[in-house]
Amino acid sequence: MADKLTTVIVEDEELARNLLKSFLKTMDNIEMVGECENGFEGVKVINELKPDLVFLDIQMPKITGFEMLELLEHKPQIIFATAYDQYALKAFEYNAADYLLKPYSKDRLAEAVDKVVERIRTEGTTSDIADKISDYPREEYLDRIVVKDRHKIHISPVDQVRYIESMDDYVMIYTTEGRFMKQKTMKYFENALNPKDFIRIHRSYIVKVDEISEIQQYEKESYIVILHDKTKLKVSKTGYKNLKEVLNF
Amino acid sequence: MDFRHPFITNPRIAIYYGLFWVVAATANVLVLTLGNNINVVEAIVQVCAFLLSFAVIGAAIWYVIKFSTLENNSFWRIVIAHAIAATVIIFIWIYFGVVIIKIFHPTPSRWIESQIANRIFAGYALYTIYVVFFYAVNYYNGFKEKLRSEGKLKALVKEAELHALKSQINPHFLFNSLNSISSLTMTDPSKAQEMVINLSQLMRYSLKHDQNEKVSFKQELENNQLYLQIEKVRFGKKLNPSFEIEEQCLSAEIPNMILQPLYENAIKYGVYEATEPVDVKTFSEMTETGLKIVISNTYDPDVLSKRGEGIGLRNIRERLQIIYGNPGLLKISDNKKEFKVTLTIPQKIM
Repeated sequence: MADKLTTVIVEDEELARNLLKSFLKTMDNIEMVGECENGFEGVKVINELKPDLVFLDIQMPKITGFEMLELLEHKPQIIFATAYDQYALKAFEYNAADYLLKPYSKDRLAEAVDKVVERIRTEGTTSDIADKISDYPREEYLDRIVVKDRHKIHISPVDQVRYIESMDDYVMIYTTEGRFMKQKTMKYFENALNPKDFIRIHRSYIVKVDEISEIQQYEKESYIVILHDKTKLKVSKTGYKNLKEVLNF
Repeated sequence: MDFRHPFITNPRIAIYYGLFWVVAATANVLVLTLGNNINVVEAIVQVCAFLLSFAVIGAAIWYVIKFSTLENNSFWRIVIAHAIAATVIIFIWIYFGVVIIKIFHPTPSRWIESQIANRIFAGYALYTIYVVFFYAVNYYNGFKEKLRSEGKLKALVKEAELHALKSQINPHFLFNSLNSISSLTMTDPSKAQEMVINLSQLMRYSLKHDQNEKVSFKQELENNQLYLQIEKVRFGKKLNPSFEIEEQCLSAEIPNMILQPLYENAIKYGVYEATEPVDVKTFSEMTETGLKIVISNTYDPDVLSKRGEGIGLRNIRERLQIIYGNPGLLKISDNKKEFKVTLTIPQKIM
């Protein structure tokens, strides 16, 4: 490959960054174009520079590496570098090229870079990470949702989420602080939110149990849910069954 | 202290006690009728009036024992307390006995004349036996209680040790530190060496099974400074520890490994989530109530993290409760900018 891989590092610890940089410096197929200390910077720099490859730490201040990935418009190849081994599965769900466990050797790093080179060669283009997020039920539910609102990154605790509406490839998340659009599927939220607190009432709606004020019959065998603020949402047959199950009526 | 009567807490004792007196009373009736040729009714009246009534009144002697324990009172105080209590109890006892005799006995005045001195003497003797008996019960209970709480304490210390061991050598701490060292070997080998030495020292302290549950504050402090030094290499200017320790605190005694979870929390909730420098302050002074240690960290109020009283804090609270019998020795305050933990470690009065 003639071209060098343009590379960005997102890592909060200076020493870890230095080590990675000094390793990468000796590799002639890597061109360092940026380094960031946290996920906020990461979103900005990656969307701006559109690198081929990003080295990403997971536990960082403000937002995690995974949350940062969800905010990217440009989808680079990702190599995770972390001391935590418990995120390997999740990294795989995010279609990571490789997962480096700290401390790692230069050889191991070179191997990871080779994988990226191979991936780019066979796929032609970089793969779309956000689309490949797993639909499997998870062991842990979300406790916050990170969204990009124009130029600001907004962190919403799930307690503030009122309901979610599907809009083609996006969902609209209605929170007590306003509404936010996010590129995710309804299926994703159905799995990622605690089913005790959130019910899928319709193909297009997931609603928080506490927000429901009334369930009204609308036509024969068709219902609507009325929220505390008088918002009316359609309920499907399956949705009605889900409501019955959770609310126990 | 538990002021409930042992008859209430342990009904079996009450049953044995009752059985004992029933047997004693029956024996007494038999002796009086067969040995002394007193008629049965008279004998039963006598026994009820004095023997069985003492069984009832005597149970109250427990409270006298409870309020004048051998450990907390001077010898003469106890003697005086018992003399007064005995006199009161015996007076009541004799009074009721005489009332019963007067009602049921065929020749009450003759009986009272000949027997009353005997009865008073017997009352004091019985009282003394009761006192000895109850002190023995008390001592035995205290002993059992002590064994139990000692066992619990040992388990807790072990758990704390294990937790400290786990957290000091927890994968993230260890691997991140090793990664820092890996980085330093290229840029600053002497610093790398220093960190290897610090890390070794810290691990040695953790691995050493210190059987003494208490160490000097100085020792505990040095161990934690080492921990902070290692984390400081990793986090750089983001971690800003400072100490304000009164000289006289250093020799104070403190349960071992009680501070480490507090610093670990400060780093986890303060430094991990911060992009700005976080102050981790330690202040200590000697007060009337003991050694006061205040550990505080600033934190970013925007960070959403569920922060309850985690295992670390709960463990410390429980250990202090067991060792010093006071649940209020750990205090937490949180003003949304700074998280502060205040420990008060009682010291033996010199």
